[in-house]
Amino acid sequence: MTEPPNTLLEELLLPRLDDKAQKFWHNARTELAAGCNKSRFAALIALASRYCKRRPLDVSHIERERISTAIPGLTLDEWNLLELLRVALICGRNDLTSAQFAEDYEAQFVYADEGETCALYRALPFLPAGERFAWRAGDGCRTNMLSVFHAIALDSPYPAKHFDDTAWHQLVMKTLFLELPVWRIVGLDERRSAELNRMALDYAEERESAGRSLPIGLWLCFTEHDKNRLTALVERHWHSATAQDRKAIVFGLVRSGLHSQVHTLATSESDAGVAHVIDHTLGGQTQQIHFARLVTD
Amino acid sequence: MRFFDPHIHMSSRTTDDYQNMAAAGIRAVIEPAFWMGQPRTNVGSFIDYFASLVGWERFRASQFGIAHYCTIGVNSKEANNEGLAREALELLPQFALKEGVVAIGEIGYDEMTPAEEWVYQHQLQFAVDHDMVVMVHTPHRDKKNGVLRSIDVAREVGVPMEKLVIDHNNEETVQSVLDAGAWAAFTIYPNTKMGSERMTEIVRQYGPERIIVDSSADWGVSDPLSVPKTAHLMQERGIDQAAIELTCWQNALDAYAQSGQIDVEELLKAPVIDQSQRFSENSVLRGQQPRIDEPVKN
Repeated sequence: MTEPPNTLLEELLLPRLDDKAQKFWHNARTELAAGCNKSRFAALIALASRYCKRRPLDVSHIERERISTAIPGLTLDEWNLLELLRVALICGRNDLTSAQFAEDYEAQFVYADEGETCALYRALPFLPAGERFAWRAGDGCRTNMLSVFHAIALDSPYPAKHFDDTAWHQLVMKTLFLELPVWRIVGLDERRSAELNRMALDYAEERESAGRSLPIGLWLCFTEHDKNRLTALVERHWHSATAQDRKAIVFGLVRSGLHSQVHTLATSESDAGVAHVIDHTLGGQTQQIHFARLVTD
Repeated sequence: MRFFDPHIHMSSRTTDDYQNMAAAGIRAVIEPAFWMGQPRTNVGSFIDYFASLVGWERFRASQFGIAHYCTIGVNSKEANNEGLAREALELLPQFALKEGVVAIGEIGYDEMTPAEEWVYQHQLQFAVDHDMVVMVHTPHRDKKNGVLRSIDVAREVGVPMEKLVIDHNNEETVQSVLDAGAWAAFTIYPNTKMGSERMTEIVRQYGPERIIVDSSADWGVSDPLSVPKTAHLMQERGIDQAAIELTCWQNALDAYAQSGQIDVEELLKAPVIDQSQRFSENSVLRGQQPRIDEPVKN
């Protein structure tokens, strides 16, 4: 890390706070730095809502660079201002590595409202010895609240770094199931596996049986571990697929080492956009960040 | 028309209700903490209930484009289990100061026992200490006396009358509440409380100032569309549009926005279903005409 997270958080925060909120922040920071008990810690997190609303952060390009330099993989584009203040409060404690902090942090989840729960989870990538909270984060993924799941699963390097295989596979599959953008699961490229490949293939067949379309991000989850099943899946879908889906399928094939199939498909491809993606993926642009551009452009 | 139902127990209602409410123009609700239809047996039950009011239920409402606020409090019925009530009161600071908690409530009297009074006073004091609005549940039996006592005790503790909402009023109690300077809320609930027709006549007689219409729909036979249905009946019966808007939207907003816990600017924006918060396969019906059936019978 090039700069301590506290400095970064405060520098992101301050220009976005009005006078009243700045005063609250300065007082709270002083209080936290001096050490405060569990109930005061909880009160500060709750009271933050009186000073900040859930407004978008509108992260600038320069800020985005600083964030990803400090914590690779992290983006705050979907955080709101209240969440940023709350995460800054959590990280403002002077004892983040202590057992007392771990106990107090865990205790917050019992009384947390929806917004606080999201903020507590958004703090994870900033916490030292993050492995202490792996069970908590995995349990958080069992939520029914999409906002909470979103806060843990997407745009954060935490799960890929700390989840065991079971929790990781469940996270990816639940993201697919909820039709959230799988390409925003940080570390998906690196943590694909034979088991995840099987789950994704099974899920594809389950969707086919139910007469449902395949979520576009599904194609990012495949690997070279079962080329026959993947080839068969592509054969069932390619001819009826939209141009956008064909682009995604191409990613799936190249990422699974099925270059020759892509070359074959390329010969009959009439859509310029798909042909373009074929060229780029065969040229090595097969990562989830490339896929993300495909979806957002 | 847009509607605010400032008293409805959504935890007991289905997603069909949420869909119908959204379709009928209900844009915001307040869910007061109450009992569960049977007494709780331990404090953990209060913890999970309060947590669901600020967590899961808030999220559930957001899926339908409905803003969900709540009140936190220990209700009058369960105040009579003194040991448990004391434990539950200790939870107040943990939940009452959360985002979107617009009042302490619903608190007050059921049988007007000393235990109820103690719990009521304790919570009024908490509200005064934290500059909060209070939502008062008034008793079904011995109502008029209960209303008067609720107001007197709130005044004694120091609750400013403009931060006091007295709920479940009827023709016999409305004047006392208005005279005190408090807000008078009416529950349109079939059989036991108020009906749409009587409500219409009350607005005609007393005018719209400080009068609030709600449904108090819960796990009993009740109607989550009471507010829009009553508004529709008021229209039919020639009540001023401005009076309808006050009693079915603005007064509730003015009363509870005093908490600072309603992001009014956000609420006044056209409702948008956040695409990241949809159900996996369903979309929510939007922009239809209000679904209006029969007004609730007296």
